[in-house]
Amino acid sequence: MTYPTSEKGVLGHFMTPDDALTAAEKVRDSQYSHFDFLTPFPVHGMDDAMGLKRSWVPLATIALVVAGIAAAQALMNYVMVYDWPMNFGGKPFWAWPSFIPITFELMVLFGAIGTAIVAVWAGKRDTIPQPPAMSIKTGATVDRFVVWIAATDPKFDSDEVVQFVESLGAAGVELVDGKEESNAQ
Amino acid sequence: MTLPSPYATVTDDSQLTGYPVVVPGAGPFGGDEEIEEPLVTGGKKYAQVDQDICLHTEQFPTRRWWIAFAIALSLLGLLVFSLINLFYVGVGVVGTNSPVGWGTFIVNFVFWIGIGHAGTLISAVLFLFRQKWRTGINRAAEAMTLFAVACAGLFPLLHLGRIWFAYWLVPYPNDRGSLWINFNSALAWDIFAISTYGLVSLTFWYVGLLPDLATVRDRATHPWRRKLYHLMSFGWNGSNRAWRHYELAYLLLAAFATPLVFSVHTIVSFDFATSVMPGWHTTIFPPYFVVGAIFSGFAMVITLMSVMRGVFNLKNYITINHMEAMAKVLLLTSMIVGFAYATEFFMAWYSGSEWEGFLFRNRAFGPYSWAFFTMFTCNALVPLLFWFKKIRRNPWALFIIAALVNVGMWFERYVIVITSMTRDFLPSSWGIFEMTFFDWSILLGSFGLFFTLFLLFVRMLPAIAMSEVKGVMDPKVARGED
Repeated sequence: MTYPTSEKGVLGHFMTPDDALTAAEKVRDSQYSHFDFLTPFPVHGMDDAMGLKRSWVPLATIALVVAGIAAAQALMNYVMVYDWPMNFGGKPFWAWPSFIPITFELMVLFGAIGTAIVAVWAGKRDTIPQPPAMSIKTGATVDRFVVWIAATDPKFDSDEVVQFVESLGAAGVELVDGKEESNAQ
Repeated sequence: MTLPSPYATVTDDSQLTGYPVVVPGAGPFGGDEEIEEPLVTGGKKYAQVDQDICLHTEQFPTRRWWIAFAIALSLLGLLVFSLINLFYVGVGVVGTNSPVGWGTFIVNFVFWIGIGHAGTLISAVLFLFRQKWRTGINRAAEAMTLFAVACAGLFPLLHLGRIWFAYWLVPYPNDRGSLWINFNSALAWDIFAISTYGLVSLTFWYVGLLPDLATVRDRATHPWRRKLYHLMSFGWNGSNRAWRHYELAYLLLAAFATPLVFSVHTIVSFDFATSVMPGWHTTIFPPYFVVGAIFSGFAMVITLMSVMRGVFNLKNYITINHMEAMAKVLLLTSMIVGFAYATEFFMAWYSGSEWEGFLFRNRAFGPYSWAFFTMFTCNALVPLLFWFKKIRRNPWALFIIAALVNVGMWFERYVIVITSMTRDFLPSSWGIFEMTFFDWSILLGSFGLFFTLFLLFVRMLPAIAMSEVKGVMDPKVARGED
């Protein structure tokens, strides 16, 4: 799922991962869907609490691994069997056992680097849009567990959402309008 | 029911015992409960973790850092001087000659690539085994891997003799035929193994860095610094929708890196094992090399962590318990290495091969017996001191034993390469290998390169994985404060 950009929304913060988990379950079961939790470290159980499915990144990894194997086999078979076959001690040109180490290495190379790129891209794509530099303001990369409900949500109503986030037991609740702020500066 | 947290009261190493904390009556059926000792001492809060670790990237370096950096940079200068001399005069400036065609370049290559194995091993294998103590040391250990691989990568290129043809190692369509590399050769596998290892280790390290780069960005006061770290962290903001993919990708990277660690040193050992030289042509080489690599790498990690604890005041994050855990790994791998040495001698006798038998008698009692006994003492005997808990928990003992292991492991590669080559099948072609000034200066210089890179790393990037350390802290103690 992708979400349109939003500079506006409501955020609240929690002080412990357990509080954030309890809150996440309530938000998941509420009427809002354009919500996100920002945490300084991955909180165990947060995916379930937010109602997120298991990441699909491993599927990409399988494709990349197959691509790595195919690339290695194509290169070595082309070179050693087709383009320039050479006789080493009467051994067969198609010496498949000695192709295995490089096949393994290229499989790992494609799989690992590709997985990293895909995962970072997928994370960016799935993130609920926020005003720029929100993590600075909220401390979500330091010690706070932040809930963010974006104004792009079809059911968004400033007062209602503020009340809702307060009812979650958030330590601080704030209505953010990024456009107003950038105008003010 | 809330339990009193035994974590809050542990302030430093002196209060750690290495044994679990027993809370009477806290177990599920009214019995005692054993709780592991905290991985972070000093009752730290989440915000203090960032403060303590980022401090070294944000303030002007200390005098101690400058002194260390000056020494490292001088050694790097020595390397540059030696290499200019080597390229200008030729490989004759080092001791490599007939019959020893594989001199210190290969010794140093295997030494450094071995050191490069512990970083990814700590990160990947300990991650898969859910060893939480890895969080304190994994970042620096992975950085160590990268710099050790950089040092290692230098030596095969020097060994080529004509470094300006180094690109011939890469299979690409060319106007010489096309003349391809021989994919049946262990040396060609090595190129792929080392480059894959370097790139995958870099990826693994960088993916681990992303959340911490965002933390550094959010602490930055200068707009350029903020922009730079924002770019470097790919705009990470801690969203759980991103963590979801991130965590699974990290697990997959660990799953890739684990067999990779084993494959790389296996392939390095194939460089030796697929030859017909006595002392090299044995099936024990792959596991023997892999264990040796882990052994030497952990020794280097202990050395670097001792320095980081002292110079950067990170004793609350790299506690004596972390050091003891590493000492235990060192003890285990030391015994496996010692067993491998014994097995080599047993097989030399049991095989009935005249050449193997002579080679091993010559290795232990020939002209290089001093190197052999240095190796054996440092690698197989000295680490046995780690059977004593007191020694495992003594920072100075750890530092000295780890340094001795580093020496011993360099001599292991020296013994393997040199003793086999100086006396092979024909006594008429026997010779002796002597290290010249440039052999020593290039070895020392490679340490300069390694430490220069490492010191720059601790200066520029968070040297401890903050987001991972926060994940293993007790939220009751470390919780955020308004």
